[in-house]
Amino acid sequence: MKKALGLILLGILSMTFLSCQRGTEQSGGTPRIALVLKTANNPFFIDMQKGAEEAAKKLGVTLIVQAAEREVDVEKQMQIIENLIQTKVAALCVTPSGSREIVPAIEKANRAGIPVVIVDTRVDAKTMSESTGKVATFIGSDNYEGGRLAGEFIAKKLDGKGKVAVLEGIPGHETGDSRLKGFREALKAFPGIEIVATQTANWERDQGFNVFQNLLQSHPEIQAVFACSDLMALGAVEAIAAAKKTGQITVVGFDASDEARKAILGGTMDATVAQSPAMMGAMAIENAYHLIKGEQVQAEFVVPIKLITKENAGTSDK
Amino acid sequence: MRPGPITRLPNFFSHYGRQLGTLAGLVGLILVLWGLTPHFLTVSNLLNIAEQATIIAIVAAGMTFVIITGGIDLAVGSVLAFSGVVMASALLRGLPLPLALLLGLGVGLTCGLINGLLITVGRLPPFIATLGMMSVARGAALMYTEGRPISGFTESFRSLATGEVLKIPTPVIIMIVVYLIAHFVLRRTKLGRYTYAIGGNEEAALLSGINVRLYKTMVYGIAGLLSGLAAILLTARLNSAQPIAGMSYELDAIAATVIGGTSLLGGEGTITGTLIGALIMAVLRNGLNLLSVSSFFQQVVIGSVIILAVLIDMGLKRRGK
Repeated sequence: MKKALGLILLGILSMTFLSCQRGTEQSGGTPRIALVLKTANNPFFIDMQKGAEEAAKKLGVTLIVQAAEREVDVEKQMQIIENLIQTKVAALCVTPSGSREIVPAIEKANRAGIPVVIVDTRVDAKTMSESTGKVATFIGSDNYEGGRLAGEFIAKKLDGKGKVAVLEGIPGHETGDSRLKGFREALKAFPGIEIVATQTANWERDQGFNVFQNLLQSHPEIQAVFACSDLMALGAVEAIAAAKKTGQITVVGFDASDEARKAILGGTMDATVAQSPAMMGAMAIENAYHLIKGEQVQAEFVVPIKLITKENAGTSDK
Repeated sequence: MRPGPITRLPNFFSHYGRQLGTLAGLVGLILVLWGLTPHFLTVSNLLNIAEQATIIAIVAAGMTFVIITGGIDLAVGSVLAFSGVVMASALLRGLPLPLALLLGLGVGLTCGLINGLLITVGRLPPFIATLGMMSVARGAALMYTEGRPISGFTESFRSLATGEVLKIPTPVIIMIVVYLIAHFVLRRTKLGRYTYAIGGNEEAALLSGINVRLYKTMVYGIAGLLSGLAAILLTARLNSAQPIAGMSYELDAIAATVIGGTSLLGGEGTITGTLIGALIMAVLRNGLNLLSVSSFFQQVVIGSVIILAVLIDMGLKRRGK
C-alpha cells in the first residue's frame, strides 16, 4: 500500500503546484470567456493572445486561454473544448485546428448554451450546414486576397516569367487552401509563370527547410517560392542559404511575424502578408462579450491585410 | 491442505495490491481535484472524462498485451490513421456500415499481423519493426487521401461516438466491453497465459513447447485490431478521418500502460492497471484544463506523473524482492 500513499502524495504535490498556477478559476461574478488557440508556441497566436488579453482587461471579463500541445491535434482541441464546457464558460472563441473536425465540438458547446466565436480559420461550410451547431460570428483575414497579393508580387518581381514553388500548409485547412487559391488566381494573369512544384510542409519551420531543400535538388531552376506561412518561409530561407543561393530566389511568406520582417529588412526574404492577429484576438473577445450580453453581432468580420515588403517592414502595425 | 483465509491474503495482495496502488493514485487525484474545482466531480464531467479516455484506453489495451510479451508497438497511432481513412472512404463510397467497420478493423488487424510476422519470422526487434510500420502506415494514409481529411458521415455511423445507452456514452460502453474481453483473454485463456510466459522468459516458453511465433504474432495482431477499433471511434467522434490522426498516440498508450504497472521488461502487467492508467491520464488532462493551467505547464505535470509513477513502482518492486 506504500505505492498508494506515494501516488496520493504525488497527486497532492502536483496539485499544490497547480494551485499556485491557477487564479482564473473562481473570480467572482465576472463573465468567463475562453480562447482556444491552435497552439501556444506560434508567434501569430501569441500576438492573438496578447490582443485578447488586452480586450478582456478593458471589458472586465476573465479570459481563459488554452491550446493543445500540437497545432494539428484536433482530438486534443476537442477535449479542451469539452472540458471548458464543463466549467460553464460564458462564451468560447476558437481557432479551429481542423475546419471540419471542429464542428462536433461547436455542436456540443451550443447544446450547453455556449455561443462559439470562430477566429482565423473558417469552418467548413458544408460540414457546418449538416450539423445542428451554429457559428455565432467569424473573425478572420481575407486569406484569398492575401494569397492574391503574394502572387502579384512574385509575378512582378519575376517580370511575368519564371518558375515558382509553393510550400503549402496542412491540406484541408481553410486558411492555407484560400491563400493558395488566391495565389493561383493571381498567377493566371501571368502565363509566363509556371508553378513547378507544390508540397506541404505542415506549417512547420523545420519541414519548410527539409522540403524546400529537396525541391531545390529536384528543381534547381526555381526562381521564387511562396510559403503559406512565415515559419515555412523562414525554413525555406535557411535551405536557400544552405544551398548558397541567398538573394537568387524570391521568398514570400504569410503572417508578417517579427522574424519575417527582420528577414525582409536583412534581404533574405522579399515579402510577407500582414495579418493582424492582435486585432483578431481583441475582436473575438469583444464580440464574445456582446454575445454574452445578448446583443446581435455581425455574422462575419474581415480583418484587413496588406503586403509587407522592404519599404514598410520596419513599421510595426500590429 | 486447503489454504486458509490467512495464507490466501498475501497472495491476494501480490495479485491485486499493485492495482490497488494505482487505483488509490487515481482516487487521490480525484479527491484533490474535487477540492480544487467545483466543476470536477459532477456526473457530466466524469462521463466526459470517461469518453475522452476511450480512444487511448482502447489502444493501450492492445499495447498492454504487446508490452507483457516484452515488446513494444510504435505503429499503433499510424495504423489508427490508416484504418480510419480506408474505412472512411469506403463509407463515403456507399459500402454498408457493418462491412465498412469490418474493413477498418481488418486493415488494423492486417498491419498488426505484419508487425508480428516481421518480429517473429523476420526476427526484427519490435522497436525497429514497428518503427518502420509507423512510417509506412502513416505514409500510406497520406497517399490514400492525398493528405486531406475525409468527412461527412451518416448519423448512424456517428452515433457510435455520439450515442448513449442508459445515459452512458456509447464509446465508454465499447471501452468497458473491450476491457472485459481483454481481461478475460489475459487471465483465463491459453493466449493470455502464453503472453505472460513469453514475456517472462521467451527461451523457457519456447523450450516448454509454446508456439512462440504464433502467439507473439497474434499479440501484435490484437494491438493492430484495437487500433482499428479506436480509429472507428475517433472518426465517428470528429466526423472526420484524418491521415494525420493518432500522432503520438503510441506514446500516450505506452504511458497509460506503464502507469498501470506493466513492466517494459515484460512478463508482468494487468489489463485493469492499464485502464486505471488511461483514466489517470484523462483525469489529469481534464483537471488541468478545468484549472486553466497553461498548456506548457500541463506537459510538465503529465511527464512528471509518468516518471514518478514508474519510479515509485520500481522502488516498491526492489523492496519487495
